[in-house]
Amino acid sequence: MVNLDKLRETVKEMLAKEDVKYVVGYEKGTYGFRVSPSFAFTPEDADKFIFSPLCVNNLAIYPMLEEKLPLRKDEKEDVRKIGIVVKGCDSKAAVQIIQEKGMKREHVVLIGVPCTGVIDPRKIKARFPHQGKNVDVKEENGKFIFSIDGATYDIPKEELTFDKCKHCENPTPVLYDVLLGDEILSTEKEDYEEVKAFEERSLGEKWDYWKKQFERCIRCYACRDVCPMCYCKECMVDQLSPQWVRRSTNLSENAAWNIMRAYHLAGRCIGCGECERVCPMGIPLTELNKKLQKDVKEMFSYTAGLSLDIKPLSAIFSPEDPEEFIM
Amino acid sequence: MTTMEKLVLPKLEIRRLINGMLAEYRVFGPIDDDGVTLFKQIKDPSELDFTFTNSTVPPKTLLFNQTETLFKFSLGRSVKIDPVDIANERTVIFGIRPCDAKSFTILDQVFKGDYEDPYYLTRRKNTVLVGLSCTQPGVNCFCTSFKDGPASAENVDVLLTDIGEKYYVEVRSDRGKHLIASMKELLRSAKAEDENNKKHVEEKAIAAITRNMNIEGMVNKLDKMFENSLWKTIAMKCLGCGVCTYLCPTCHCFDIQDETALATGARVRVWDSCMYPEYTLQASGYNPRPERVNRMRNRVYHKYNYCPKNYGVTACVGCGRCIENCPVNIDIIDVINKAGEAKI
Amino acid sequence: MTEFEPNIVAFLCNWCSYAGADLAGTSRLKYPPNVKVIRVMCSGRVNPMFVVNALQQGADGVLIGGCHPGDCHYVQGNYFARRRMAILKKLLEYIGIDSRRVRMAWVSAAEGNKFADVIKTVTEDVKQIGPMQHFRRSNEW
Repeated sequence: MVNLDKLRETVKEMLAKEDVKYVVGYEKGTYGFRVSPSFAFTPEDADKFIFSPLCVNNLAIYPMLEEKLPLRKDEKEDVRKIGIVVKGCDSKAAVQIIQEKGMKREHVVLIGVPCTGVIDPRKIKARFPHQGKNVDVKEENGKFIFSIDGATYDIPKEELTFDKCKHCENPTPVLYDVLLGDEILSTEKEDYEEVKAFEERSLGEKWDYWKKQFERCIRCYACRDVCPMCYCKECMVDQLSPQWVRRSTNLSENAAWNIMRAYHLAGRCIGCGECERVCPMGIPLTELNKKLQKDVKEMFSYTAGLSLDIKPLSAIFSPEDPEEFIM
Repeated sequence: MTTMEKLVLPKLEIRRLINGMLAEYRVFGPIDDDGVTLFKQIKDPSELDFTFTNSTVPPKTLLFNQTETLFKFSLGRSVKIDPVDIANERTVIFGIRPCDAKSFTILDQVFKGDYEDPYYLTRRKNTVLVGLSCTQPGVNCFCTSFKDGPASAENVDVLLTDIGEKYYVEVRSDRGKHLIASMKELLRSAKAEDENNKKHVEEKAIAAITRNMNIEGMVNKLDKMFENSLWKTIAMKCLGCGVCTYLCPTCHCFDIQDETALATGARVRVWDSCMYPEYTLQASGYNPRPERVNRMRNRVYHKYNYCPKNYGVTACVGCGRCIENCPVNIDIIDVINKAGEAKI
Repeated sequence: MTEFEPNIVAFLCNWCSYAGADLAGTSRLKYPPNVKVIRVMCSGRVNPMFVVNALQQGADGVLIGGCHPGDCHYVQGNYFARRRMAILKKLLEYIGIDSRRVRMAWVSAAEGNKFADVIKTVTEDVKQIGPMQHFRRSNEW
């Protein structure tokens, strides 16, 4: 558990430095189990910061959302840094973006928070569907403890955490400027059990499954917009000359969209699961991304988001790359 | 316009009522699609999910289709344009909630302005709305903030309210009357006791709505705070994902594109979102709403300032979908209440 | 009942595989006429979006032809193409698209025979799998 005073102190210290524009963290949401991203520009803002098992958002996206408008005459570009509160998975996103030169390491200051798992909003909503008032959550001895209307509930962690948290290999952020708390060593290993089980199905079964999923897609692009790795200035689906994917929502275009987004994340997706969390139709996007994560690891011994010093997957090759499929 | 008929239907007969509708109309209703409630066409009453709070995608999608072919064309000696047949089968949307039904008041104004949109209006004319009052409002419902309620009946042709062992049935229009004409033997007149039960259910539902948006005087207040720093504070967390617009019952922005396959093609209308930067990107490269703060502010003003001024009605029905689904907890109730309190 | 004749779209790199196809032609070698060639300067030019788009537009199979490793006219293009296609094939298979629809071949400018064989093999395989219906554009509105 993170010491909230230490968190807020750290943020205030960071803001006192002249070269930090603002710090992004989490604050209490407006209802139920929600948590909201919070922007601290002044020390008073920092007092709103929290960290709890409800902090699901991946805040590493915010440096990439900075809008750079044309400068006025004599106006200098604001090159101050941005502070970000990052969990283990979030830090991997930051590492991967820096690795691909999407942003400079000096542009961000990372406040690392060792994380023992966060709660899946769908699971907690299923448990308490009518919870309107804000709820605080604590973690103790492998259980989540909630106080709701005077009553206390303790629920075993495994029943509420995201599936992604169950196989987390990086509970401690891999990159940070400050670490709030002791390092947590990972006891889990991602073994891709579900991916392997799905691979055993026949081609027909696989298509039936994904056909049903793609037909539900409403092309809202929430998955793309919440993903820290999707920061192309012009996304392939917004291109009009040539137009690769039409805007109509039918199986053909939806399949093309989902296939190409998964492809563009090969070797880049760090498995934060935000895409699946925000999809209003509940499409299991992490299944696709996990599949490519596994393949990229097996074929090219490459894992995204771990090291600043290696080059991105698609920017390099090895003369020994697999080619048994080539005639 | 008929005077309202007040009837009751024994709960067990609901299947027969729906079957009666299926005999003559296409029926759309709420179904559970792998945990997500959607309005889809049904062939049997057993497909319906009566336990839903509200659907993820609002039923506006049935009248204002997400993908709509406007006309087809083909190349020969010259271009030949073929109009499409707009679906004009008699349709029932069964189980629509009062908030979603109210949204058609706004959509009607949009599509019936200087130019009457035949695609939306044909469907609107041929669709009967059978509403289902809310007995257990959702956590983020706030229809009461607009002087509506969980048993409000604007635009609804037949309103059903669950009063225990029966449904209280209000027939409010000729269309509704015609719909149930062949099933009259399932229904009988409501008694005073039934009316009281219905009032009681309605009051209980209203009491269960805990959230309130202070809409009083908002139009004037917003007029005075266009440059307020509040918009930047809120828009900083916005991802520009557009989920709020796609799931909003009153949002109606669209794009028109031509899809071609060498010698044939069609002009297609698709949903668009004002929250995307490309929405206002002009051919010159100039974008009048370049930042998320511009787009977020525009959305708030469109719903709570421009529409009330243009159409006399707030373009929000209090369904709460945008609040539920926003990835970063941008809460429109909180936004408007904060705007109301902002110092100017 | 006419036999199914597949549509194969082939992206051939200008320097090796396209020249190899040309040699097959001048040598009067016989191979199935189902292939439609799109010449690209290098196999590294091939964006996986091309492959997906081709499958959407009616291709039953897609072939990418490149230079042998080490022989690429632009030094490294074919290596990148190799990586991309390896990933794409796996992804398509996971979705339920038979991986034999998207093929890659190293064909040098001197290998006219090999080109003809490659086309024969790919056409036969795709004929066997059947038409690509999964996410084909209907172009009916």
